Amino acid sequence: MLKEQIAWYIAGPTLGVCVVACRILFNARLGITGGYSELVGKLGRGSFSFDWRGWFALGVAMSGALYLLLNGAARFEGYGWMTRTFEGTGQLWIVPLLVGSGVLIGYGAKLAGGCTSGNGLSGTSSLSPASLAATCTFFGTAIGVATLLEVII
Amino acid sequence: MAAQRFTGALLGVVFGFMLTWSGMVDPDVIRGALLFEEAYLFLFMGSAVATASIGLALVRRFQRRAVLVDQPIGWTTERPQRSHLLGSVIFGVGWGVSQACPGPVAAQVGQGVGWALLTLVGIVIGVRIFLVREAHETEPAVDAPQAQAPTSPAAQRREPVPVGVA
Repeated sequence: MLKEQIAWYIAGPTLGVCVVACRILFNARLGITGGYSELVGKLGRGSFSFDWRGWFALGVAMSGALYLLLNGAARFEGYGWMTRTFEGTGQLWIVPLLVGSGVLIGYGAKLAGGCTSGNGLSGTSSLSPASLAATCTFFGTAIGVATLLEVII
Repeated sequence: MAAQRFTGALLGVVFGFMLTWSGMVDPDVIRGALLFEEAYLFLFMGSAVATASIGLALVRRFQRRAVLVDQPIGWTTERPQRSHLLGSVIFGVGWGVSQACPGPVAAQVGQGVGWALLTLVGIVIGVRIFLVREAHETEPAVDAPQAQAPTSPAAQRREPVPVGVA
Protein backbone atom coordinates (compact mmCIF):
# COMPACT_ATOMS: atom_id res chain seq x y z
CA MET A 1 0.00 0.00 0.00
CA LEU A 2 2.81 2.39 0.89
CA LYS A 3 4.50 1.66 -2.44
CA GLU A 4 1.59 3.12 -4.36
CA GLN A 5 1.01 6.83 -4.65
CA ILE A 6 -1.66 7.87 -2.16
CA ALA A 7 -4.63 9.61 -3.83
CA TRP A 8 -4.17 13.38 -4.18
CA TYR A 9 -7.58 14.01 -2.60
CA ILE A 10 -6.32 12.41 0.62
CA ALA A 11 -2.74 13.72 0.63
CA GLY A 12 -3.59 17.30 -0.39
CA PRO A 13 -6.32 17.95 2.20
CA THR A 14 -4.14 16.34 4.90
CA LEU A 15 -1.45 18.92 4.19
CA GLY A 16 -4.14 21.59 4.29
CA VAL A 17 -5.20 20.37 7.73
CA CYS A 18 -1.54 20.61 8.88
CA VAL A 19 -1.52 24.28 7.84
CA VAL A 20 -4.72 24.96 9.80
CA ALA A 21 -3.43 23.00 12.80
CA CYS A 22 -0.26 25.09 12.81
CA ARG A 23 -2.37 28.26 12.98
CA ILE A 24 -4.60 26.92 15.77
CA LEU A 25 -1.70 25.56 17.82
CA PHE A 26 1.03 28.15 17.31
CA ASN A 27 -0.71 31.05 15.56
CA ALA A 28 2.00 30.64 12.93
CA ARG A 29 2.41 30.02 9.27
CA LEU A 30 3.54 26.50 8.53
CA GLY A 31 6.79 26.50 6.57
CA ILE A 32 9.71 24.13 6.42
CA THR A 33 12.27 26.80 5.51
CA GLY A 34 11.58 28.45 8.87
CA GLY A 35 12.53 25.13 10.47
CA TYR A 36 15.80 24.92 8.52
CA SER A 37 16.53 28.50 9.49
CA GLU A 38 15.96 27.75 13.18
CA LEU A 39 18.25 24.70 13.03
CA VAL A 40 21.00 26.46 11.07
CA GLY A 41 20.83 29.60 13.22
CA LYS A 42 20.90 27.75 16.55
CA LEU A 43 23.58 25.26 15.52
CA GLY A 44 25.68 28.18 14.26
CA ARG A 45 25.61 29.54 17.82
CA GLY A 46 26.39 26.10 19.26
CA SER A 47 22.89 25.66 20.69
CA PHE A 48 20.71 22.58 20.42
CA SER A 49 17.67 24.12 22.06
CA PHE A 50 15.48 24.32 18.95
CA ASP A 51 11.98 25.77 19.05
CA TRP A 52 8.97 23.98 17.55
CA ARG A 53 9.90 25.13 14.04
CA GLY A 54 13.22 23.34 14.26
CA TRP A 55 11.44 20.27 15.59
CA PHE A 56 8.93 20.48 12.75
CA ALA A 57 11.82 20.19 10.25
CA LEU A 58 13.31 17.32 12.26
CA GLY A 59 9.87 15.69 12.27
CA VAL A 60 9.79 15.81 8.46
CA ALA A 61 13.17 14.04 8.40
CA MET A 62 11.86 11.51 10.95
CA SER A 63 8.86 10.85 8.71
CA GLY A 64 11.27 9.68 6.03
CA ALA A 65 12.83 7.24 8.49
CA LEU A 66 9.36 6.04 9.48
CA TYR A 67 8.46 5.45 5.85
CA LEU A 68 11.70 3.55 5.33
CA LEU A 69 10.92 1.40 8.36
CA LEU A 70 7.34 0.59 7.30
CA ASN A 71 7.98 0.22 3.58
CA GLY A 72 11.37 -1.48 3.80
CA ALA A 73 12.80 0.77 1.08
CA ALA A 74 13.00 4.44 0.13
CA ARG A 75 10.22 5.85 -2.05
CA PHE A 76 12.50 6.03 -5.11
CA GLU A 77 15.93 5.10 -6.42
CA GLY A 78 18.63 7.33 -7.87
CA TYR A 79 18.00 11.09 -8.01
CA GLY A 80 15.89 11.91 -11.04
CA TRP A 81 17.46 13.05 -14.29
CA MET A 82 20.90 13.46 -12.76
CA THR A 83 21.58 9.80 -11.99
CA ARG A 84 20.09 8.82 -15.39
CA THR A 85 22.20 11.30 -17.31
CA PHE A 86 25.54 10.93 -15.58
CA GLU A 87 27.21 7.54 -15.28
CA GLY A 88 30.48 6.25 -13.84
CA THR A 89 32.92 9.02 -12.98
CA GLY A 90 30.59 11.45 -14.75
CA GLN A 91 28.45 11.21 -11.63
CA LEU A 92 30.92 13.60 -9.99
CA TRP A 93 29.00 16.33 -11.86
CA ILE A 94 26.06 15.61 -9.60
CA VAL A 95 27.97 16.93 -6.58
CA PRO A 96 28.24 20.58 -7.70
CA LEU A 97 24.79 20.41 -9.35
CA LEU A 98 23.03 19.31 -6.17
CA VAL A 99 25.02 21.43 -3.74
CA GLY A 100 24.62 24.44 -6.05
CA SER A 101 20.88 23.87 -6.40
CA GLY A 102 20.63 23.55 -2.65
CA VAL A 103 22.38 26.89 -2.10
CA LEU A 104 19.94 28.57 -4.50
CA ILE A 105 16.99 26.85 -2.81
CA GLY A 106 18.08 27.83 0.69
CA TYR A 107 19.07 31.41 -0.07
CA GLY A 108 16.17 32.02 -2.45
CA ALA A 109 13.56 30.65 -0.06
CA LYS A 110 14.86 32.83 2.78
CA LEU A 111 14.93 35.93 0.59
CA ALA A 112 11.42 35.22 -0.72
CA GLY A 113 10.11 34.64 2.81
CA GLY A 114 9.17 31.03 2.15
CA CYS A 115 9.40 27.97 -0.05
CA THR A 116 6.81 25.64 -1.53
CA SER A 117 5.26 25.14 1.91
CA GLY A 118 5.60 28.60 3.47
CA ASN A 119 4.59 30.66 0.44
CA GLY A 120 3.06 28.07 -1.89
CA LEU A 121 0.83 26.35 0.63
CA SER A 122 0.40 28.42 3.80
CA GLY A 123 0.91 31.89 2.38
CA THR A 124 -1.51 31.47 -0.50
CA SER A 125 -4.18 29.99 1.76
CA SER A 126 -3.74 32.96 4.11
CA LEU A 127 -4.56 35.05 1.01
CA SER A 128 -1.23 36.87 1.09
CA PRO A 129 -0.58 38.75 -2.18
CA ALA A 130 3.18 38.44 -1.62
CA SER A 131 2.94 34.65 -1.29
CA LEU A 132 0.75 34.41 -4.36
CA ALA A 133 3.27 36.43 -6.37
CA ALA A 134 6.15 34.36 -4.98
CA THR A 135 4.36 31.09 -5.79
CA CYS A 136 3.61 32.08 -9.39
CA THR A 137 7.23 33.22 -9.76
CA PHE A 138 8.88 30.05 -8.46
CA PHE A 139 6.49 27.75 -10.30
CA GLY A 140 7.04 29.68 -13.55
CA THR A 141 10.82 29.66 -13.07
CA ALA A 142 10.98 25.94 -12.20
CA ILE A 143 8.76 25.03 -15.17
CA GLY A 144 11.05 27.05 -17.45
CA VAL A 145 14.22 25.50 -16.02
CA ALA A 146 12.86 21.93 -16.17
CA THR A 147 11.74 22.44 -19.77
CA LEU A 148 15.13 23.90 -20.69
CA LEU A 149 16.86 20.89 -19.10
CA GLU A 150 14.77 18.52 -21.23
CA VAL A 151 15.93 20.34 -24.35
CA ILE A 152 19.60 20.23 -23.32
CA ILE A 153 19.92 16.65 -22.06
CA MET B 1 8.11 24.42 25.60
CA ALA B 2 8.22 20.62 25.64
CA ALA B 3 4.62 20.42 24.46
CA GLN B 4 5.41 22.87 21.65
CA ARG B 5 8.44 20.91 20.53
CA PHE B 6 6.66 17.57 20.63
CA THR B 7 3.66 18.92 18.73
CA GLY B 8 5.94 20.57 16.19
CA ALA B 9 7.75 17.29 15.58
CA LEU B 10 4.46 15.38 15.31
CA LEU B 11 3.14 17.89 12.79
CA GLY B 12 6.38 17.43 10.84
CA VAL B 13 5.99 13.64 10.83
CA VAL B 14 2.43 13.84 9.44
CA PHE B 15 3.41 16.50 6.90
CA GLY B 16 6.54 14.69 5.76
CA PHE B 17 4.90 11.27 5.61
CA MET B 18 2.29 12.65 3.22
CA LEU B 19 5.00 14.30 1.11
CA THR B 20 6.71 10.93 0.87
CA TRP B 21 3.62 8.80 0.30
CA SER B 22 2.37 11.19 -2.38
CA GLY B 23 5.67 10.75 -4.22
CA MET B 24 6.61 14.43 -3.93
CA VAL B 25 10.00 13.33 -2.61
CA ASP B 26 10.81 11.68 -5.95
CA PRO B 27 12.57 14.14 -8.32
CA ASP B 28 11.04 12.29 -11.29
CA VAL B 29 7.52 12.94 -9.99
CA ILE B 30 8.34 16.66 -9.70
CA ARG B 31 9.86 16.54 -13.19
CA GLY B 32 6.65 15.03 -14.61
CA ALA B 33 4.65 17.82 -13.00
CA LEU B 34 6.93 20.66 -14.12
CA LEU B 35 6.76 19.33 -17.70
CA PHE B 36 2.95 19.10 -17.43
CA GLU B 37 3.04 15.35 -18.00
CA GLU B 38 1.29 14.59 -14.71
CA ALA B 39 -1.56 16.55 -13.11
CA TYR B 40 -1.03 15.01 -9.64
CA LEU B 41 1.11 17.79 -8.12
CA PHE B 42 -1.34 20.48 -9.20
CA LEU B 43 -4.36 18.58 -7.88
CA PHE B 44 -2.44 17.85 -4.68
CA MET B 45 -1.36 21.48 -4.17
CA GLY B 46 -4.75 22.79 -5.23
CA SER B 47 -6.69 20.59 -2.83
CA ALA B 48 -4.24 21.41 -0.03
CA VAL B 49 -4.63 25.17 -0.59
CA ALA B 50 -8.42 24.85 -0.90
CA THR B 51 -8.66 22.91 2.38
CA ALA B 52 -6.31 25.27 4.19
CA SER B 53 -8.09 28.39 2.87
CA ILE B 54 -11.45 27.21 4.15
CA GLY B 55 -9.94 26.04 7.44
CA LEU B 56 -8.04 29.29 8.01
CA ALA B 57 -11.11 31.39 7.23
CA LEU B 58 -13.09 29.42 9.83
CA VAL B 59 -10.27 29.61 12.38
CA ARG B 60 -10.00 33.36 11.91
CA ARG B 61 -13.72 33.68 12.56
CA PHE B 62 -14.26 31.27 15.43
CA GLN B 63 -10.98 30.49 17.21
CA ARG B 64 -9.99 33.27 19.60
CA ARG B 65 -6.67 32.14 21.01
CA ALA B 66 -3.89 29.81 19.97
CA VAL B 67 -3.64 26.55 21.91
CA LEU B 68 0.09 26.28 22.60
CA VAL B 69 1.16 29.92 22.63
CA ASP B 70 -0.38 32.77 24.59
CA GLN B 71 -1.58 34.74 21.59
CA PRO B 72 -4.84 35.68 19.93
CA ILE B 73 -5.14 34.12 16.49
CA GLY B 74 -4.64 36.50 13.63
CA TRP B 75 -2.30 37.43 10.83
CA THR B 76 -1.51 40.21 8.43
CA THR B 77 -0.59 39.82 4.79
CA GLU B 78 2.15 41.44 2.77
CA ARG B 79 2.18 43.21 -0.56
CA PRO B 80 4.68 41.69 -3.03
CA GLN B 81 8.14 43.23 -2.68
CA ARG B 82 11.16 42.86 -4.93
CA SER B 83 12.67 40.34 -2.50
CA HIS B 84 9.70 37.98 -2.87
CA LEU B 85 10.10 37.87 -6.63
CA LEU B 86 13.91 37.82 -6.73
CA GLY B 87 14.08 35.15 -4.02
CA SER B 88 11.48 33.07 -5.81
CA VAL B 89 13.38 33.20 -9.10
CA ILE B 90 16.55 32.03 -7.31
CA PHE B 91 14.55 29.34 -5.48
CA GLY B 92 12.81 28.31 -8.70
CA VAL B 93 16.13 27.73 -10.49
CA GLY B 94 17.34 25.48 -7.68
CA TRP B 95 14.03 23.63 -7.58
CA GLY B 96 13.92 23.21 -11.36
CA VAL B 97 17.46 21.80 -11.53
CA SER B 98 17.38 19.50 -8.48
CA GLN B 99 13.63 18.82 -8.76
CA ALA B 100 13.49 18.77 -4.98
CA CYS B 101 12.54 21.44 -2.43
CA PRO B 102 13.24 21.82 1.31
CA GLY B 103 10.46 19.59 2.70
CA PRO B 104 11.08 16.65 0.37
CA VAL B 105 14.85 16.97 0.87
CA ALA B 106 14.46 16.51 4.64
CA ALA B 107 12.24 13.47 4.05
CA GLN B 108 14.70 12.07 1.48
CA VAL B 109 17.54 12.29 3.99
CA GLY B 110 15.37 10.46 6.54
CA GLN B 111 14.82 7.69 4.00
CA GLY B 112 18.54 7.26 3.64
CA VAL B 113 18.78 8.65 0.10
CA GLY B 114 22.50 9.41 -0.11
CA TRP B 115 22.28 11.98 -2.91
CA ALA B 116 19.91 14.08 -0.80
CA LEU B 117 22.76 14.83 1.62
CA LEU B 118 24.31 16.99 -1.13
CA THR B 119 21.10 18.97 -1.63
CA LEU B 120 20.78 19.29 2.15
CA VAL B 121 24.33 20.62 2.50
CA GLY B 122 23.55 23.18 -0.20
CA ILE B 123 20.35 24.34 1.51
CA VAL B 124 22.16 24.69 4.84
CA ILE B 125 24.88 26.78 3.16
CA GLY B 126 22.26 28.94 1.40
CA VAL B 127 20.29 29.58 4.60
CA ARG B 128 23.52 30.28 6.48
CA ILE B 129 24.68 32.82 3.89
CA PHE B 130 21.33 34.59 4.18
CA LEU B 131 21.38 34.65 7.99
CA VAL B 132 24.97 35.93 8.15
CA ARG B 133 24.32 38.62 5.51
CA GLU B 134 21.13 39.72 7.20
CA ALA B 135 22.73 39.83 10.66
CA HIS B 136 25.54 41.92 9.19
CA GLU B 137 23.17 44.34 7.47
CA THR B 138 20.98 44.86 10.52
CA GLU B 139 23.87 45.34 12.97
CA PRO B 140 23.40 48.65 14.73
CA ALA B 141 25.87 51.04 13.18
CA VAL B 142 26.66 54.02 15.40
CA ASP B 143 27.30 56.41 12.54
CA ALA B 144 24.35 55.36 10.41
CA PRO B 145 21.52 57.87 10.16
CA GLN B 146 18.24 56.93 11.80
CA ALA B 147 16.11 54.78 9.57
CA GLN B 148 13.10 56.66 8.30
CA ALA B 149 9.72 55.53 9.49
CA PRO B 150 7.74 53.81 6.75
CA THR B 151 5.29 56.22 5.20
CA SER B 152 3.88 54.51 2.13
CA PRO B 153 0.77 52.37 2.65
CA ALA B 154 2.62 49.40 1.14
CA ALA B 155 5.43 49.74 3.65
CA GLN B 156 3.02 50.05 6.54
CA ARG B 157 1.23 46.91 5.51
CA ARG B 158 4.46 44.99 5.43
CA GLU B 159 4.49 42.25 8.04
CA PRO B 160 7.70 42.25 10.08
CA VAL B 161 9.38 38.91 9.43
CA PRO B 162 11.51 37.88 12.40
CA VAL B 163 14.74 36.00 11.68
CA GLY B 164 14.07 32.31 11.60
CA VAL B 165 10.55 32.58 10.28
CA ALA B 166 9.93 31.84 6.65
